[in-house]
Parts: sequence; structure tokens; C-alpha cells
Amino acid sequence: MKPPRWFRWRPAAIVLGLAVALALLPPVARISVYTQNQLTLTFVTIAAALAWNWLGGYLGQVSFGHAALFGLGGFVAARLQISAHLPMILAWTAGGLVAGLYALAWGHPTLRLRGPYFSIATIGVGEATRLVCTYWDWFTGGSSGMSLPVTAGLKLQLYWYGIAIALVGVATSYWLRRSPLGMALLAIKSDVDAAGDVGISSVRLQDGVLFLSGLAMGICGAFNASYYSFIEPVETLGFEKSISFVFMGVIGGVGTILGPALGAVVFVLVRQYFIASYPQLYLGLFGVLLVLVILFEPLGLTGLSLRVARRFGYRERPDLST
Amino acid sequence: MIEHLLDLTVSAFLLAGLYATMAYGLGLIYGVLRVVNLNHGGMIMAGAYAAWWAHDQFGLDPYLSIPIILVLAFLVGVLTYAGLVRRLPRGAAGGVQSLLLLFGVWLILRNAAYLIFSGNDQTVLTSYSTKALPFLGAQISVNRLAVFGVALVTLGALHLFLTRTYVGKAIRAVAQNPESCTLAGVPVQRIYMLTFGLGTALASLAGALATGLYAFNPGFGATELLKSFVVVVLGGLGSVAGTAVAALILALVENFSILVIPSYLTSAVGFVLLVLVLVLRPGGLFGQRVLG
Repeated sequence: MKPPRWFRWRPAAIVLGLAVALALLPPVARISVYTQNQLTLTFVTIAAALAWNWLGGYLGQVSFGHAALFGLGGFVAARLQISAHLPMILAWTAGGLVAGLYALAWGHPTLRLRGPYFSIATIGVGEATRLVCTYWDWFTGGSSGMSLPVTAGLKLQLYWYGIAIALVGVATSYWLRRSPLGMALLAIKSDVDAAGDVGISSVRLQDGVLFLSGLAMGICGAFNASYYSFIEPVETLGFEKSISFVFMGVIGGVGTILGPALGAVVFVLVRQYFIASYPQLYLGLFGVLLVLVILFEPLGLTGLSLRVARRFGYRERPDLST
Repeated sequence: MIEHLLDLTVSAFLLAGLYATMAYGLGLIYGVLRVVNLNHGGMIMAGAYAAWWAHDQFGLDPYLSIPIILVLAFLVGVLTYAGLVRRLPRGAAGGVQSLLLLFGVWLILRNAAYLIFSGNDQTVLTSYSTKALPFLGAQISVNRLAVFGVALVTLGALHLFLTRTYVGKAIRAVAQNPESCTLAGVPVQRIYMLTFGLGTALASLAGALATGLYAFNPGFGATELLKSFVVVVLGGLGSVAGTAVAALILALVENFSILVIPSYLTSAVGFVLLVLVLVLRPGGLFGQRVLG
């Protein structure tokens, strides 16, 4: 059987090898609980950053409200596990589906229009979702949150699930960018009218990507809730959560395939350091970073590494850029 | 009941002045530069803190500090344009990059305010803060009336400026077609800079006025940005009258929503209205397309 056209052996081998090595880390190398925690958190953050990028990067529709999807997926999954005693994976799936449908509910009307309607609307969606979830305490537990069941060996199990989720995220990112479908998304981003002229249905494709992004975001949120065995609306649905996804995309390179994954790794590391050392400067420093990246290197770390590679005689393939 | 309804209507009319002021700033910049100034919320917050600081430190009445705030905010806007927005590559200015850039500026302002003034809620209390005048059996707070008056004067002056002066006409011309303006000898870059300054000044004016009505903290301005955008979408670009009517609609819907939904959801009303308008009348209420 021939692999699809978007498939490349080399990156696939590298990513898979890395995944296997990481999966073997806890039993073989006996890493500390702290490191294992950080790694798990990084895996799910990578998946979430990539999911944000499908919409913000591939289609150029920047969302400032993805925490709403992340949080909704978490709350639905948590509620189903607590009240309906649904198995974890099933609850995650349900959370993801609800988040995807919720994204469609407000995204479908706003994505049809050109320009920044969608971005502005997402600010409102994030705020409204947080308000409603804080007050609907019969569903979300209100500001005191909800605790989820903890079972033995759950953390290690989630470590491996995290790797799997990140892998699916990476594969989907390649598929969404390199397949003919990905070319269609690029066409929509560049010129909606021209895309329509060659028979690309921008409405259907944008909705599809939005749903996928919401689905993945919801599953990541559900994973997060299971991992902490706890979920509450203030942090999960907060504005800072939403913009953390924007940061990861911008730091790594908006619209690149793996840039946001790199951005997520950097973000988790930097955030840990800042939260520990300068909690009161955290937002402003990321603001400065945002301004500097946009002004000097709009493709973030990906653009920077390409620039360095070019200096050493590397000839880039054109499809790496946005 | 009738009195209650009258109360709500009157207060909506007065609130509409504030909404129109902040929305016009956002709409002006968007109409001329095709850039959504995400830092609009930041400048509303900055205006509020400036008025509060002047009152707190020097006992200056918030309404008297407005001229100084306007000038300072205008300069901030000019600098933001010349230092940041102008450096974006052509074509990118209207897209994702300008959104992210100005969003970064907003975060910096927010963090600065947090560092300087802490995250506590602040209010400006003056001798007339709690005074009210009777009107047709309803009570109107003096502050609301003053806010409305200032907004009315500002919008009137702006309308005259844009329609009667040479510079104002140039701004409107650039909004229609920057290329032709270059050919006709209009200094387009300078007009952009001026427009950005004007829009920013209007945002800070709205912020300073808002101190008479609300408590605020460094996060202030996010909801206001959204409301401004709702008004811009509803009312279309360019016309002061359209903006005013749209602001009134938003204020009325918000005020009367208290009768049917719990009060904590009031701030979500504007957003629901936005989505409804986008679905039902994407061209705005008056047929002018905001985006073409």
C-alpha cells in the first residue's frame, strides 16, 4: 500500500522515534515525578498549540478564546465521569465533540465574514463562556470546581496517552498542511475569492477545520482535567489561558507545521521560570515578546532557525513558510 | 413599572453617549487604516487610570483632566503608529500581524498598570458622584448626564472636523482610496498617523468618562472593546449618526435585558447581539458594509 502524498518517511521516523524514546523514559530511566509531570503537561500543551494553529495559522483566523473550548471539553468530560460514571476515554471523546460543536455554533456565522470578525468574536466567546460556567455551578461546580476520581497508576497511564495525543496532533498538522486539502486551506487564507473561483468551498472547509480544532482542544481540556483530577472555571477558562495558545503559536511560528509544538515546549519552560521568579511581570514580558516577534521575525523560532540554516547554506523548501 | 421602564430608557440614552465615543475611535482607525486596534481596550483602561490618578494626586476633577488626557493619548497613538504599526509589511497591516502586535501592546499596558496601581478595583469619588436630578419622575445621576454631554460635544466636534475641514476631508478621502490620495498629493502616511492618534484619544476619553460610572482595574477595557466592536458592526463605518444609533440600540438592549435574564449575563448580551447581527445583517443595520 502506498502512503498518502503528504506522508514523508524522514519526519515520520524522527517523530515516531522521539515518541518511543519518550514513552520508554519512565520505566527505563526512572525519571523523577516532577519531570514526568512536566513532560505530560508539555505533551498535551503541544497538541493544544497545534490545534490552535490549524485555525490561527493555516487559515489565518486567530482565536483569542480557545480556552472556552479547552475548558468546555474538560467540564463536560469531568461531569460525565462524576455523574454518569462514564469511562475516561469515552468522556474525553464526548467532551471533545461538545467543544467542537460549540465552536461551530459561534464560529460558523463569524468565519463566513472576512477580516477580524472571528478574532473579535472569540474574545466575547471566551468571556461569556467563563461567566456562564462560573455561575452554572450545578454543572461546573462553580468557582470551587470539581474533583475527579483518582485511580492507581493513572499518572503513568496519562503520560503515555499524552504522547499519543501529541502524536495524533502532529500527524493531523502534517495532513492539514501537506495534503491537497491543506493546499485548499492555504488558498482560502491567501484569497477567498480566488479559492472560490477554482471550486474550493471555503465555508465547508473553514467549518471543518474549526470543528477539528475544537474537538482536539476539548480532548486536551478533558485530558488536563483528568490529569489534575480537578477542574475549575477561573483558570481553565481565563483570558490568560486563551492567550497562552496565541503565544505558543507566535513564538514557534504561526502557520508553520511544527513551530507551535516548539512554541509549546518553550512556553511551558519559560512560564515555569517566570511564574517562579517574576509572577507579576509574566503577562507584560509575553507582550513584549509578541511585539518583538511580530516586528522582527513573524515566523517565530521556525523563521529564526531557517534564517540560521540559510546562513550555513541550507536551501529551504518553499512549503515551510506560511 | 412604567417608571422603571422610563428609568431604563433614560439611562440607556445616557450610556449610549459613552458607547458611541469609544466605538467611534475603533471605527475611525478601522475605516481608514483597515487595522483593528486591539489596544483600544488598553487605552480605555489607561484613560480611566489617568483620570483617577490626576484626581487622586492633585484633586483634579476628572472632567477637567480630559483635555490633558486627550493630548497625551493622541501622542501615544501617533507613537504607536509611527513606531510599530507602520513597520508592518504592506498588506499584513490589516491582517493577523497587526492584531497580534496591538494585542501585545495591550498586554504590556495592562501589566504596567498592574505593576503601578496594583490589581485592586479603583473608583473616582467626587462631591457630585451620588447626586441625581429628577426627570419626569425618574432620577438621573449628574455623572451620567455629564458623560452624555461630553460625548455629545465630542462627537459633534468630530463630525464637523471630518466634514468641514481640509484635514478631515483628507482623512475621509484616504479611507475611500489611499492610492488616489497619494496621486492627489495627500500625505497618506501622515493622515494614517493622525487618524491613529485621534482614535486612540477617543478611546482614552471614553476611559476617562467611564470613571464616573464604573469601578475599574487593569483588566478594564476588554468588555468595552467588544462593545465598541458591536457598535461598529451595527452602525457601519464613517457616519457619526449611524454610530450613535447603534450605540443606542446596544445600550437599550443591554438595559432591558435585565428584565428577562440574570444580571451576571448582561455583559454577554452585546456578544449575542454581535453574532445575531453577523448572521442576520452582515452589512450592518444601515447597509454600509464594514468589510468589503
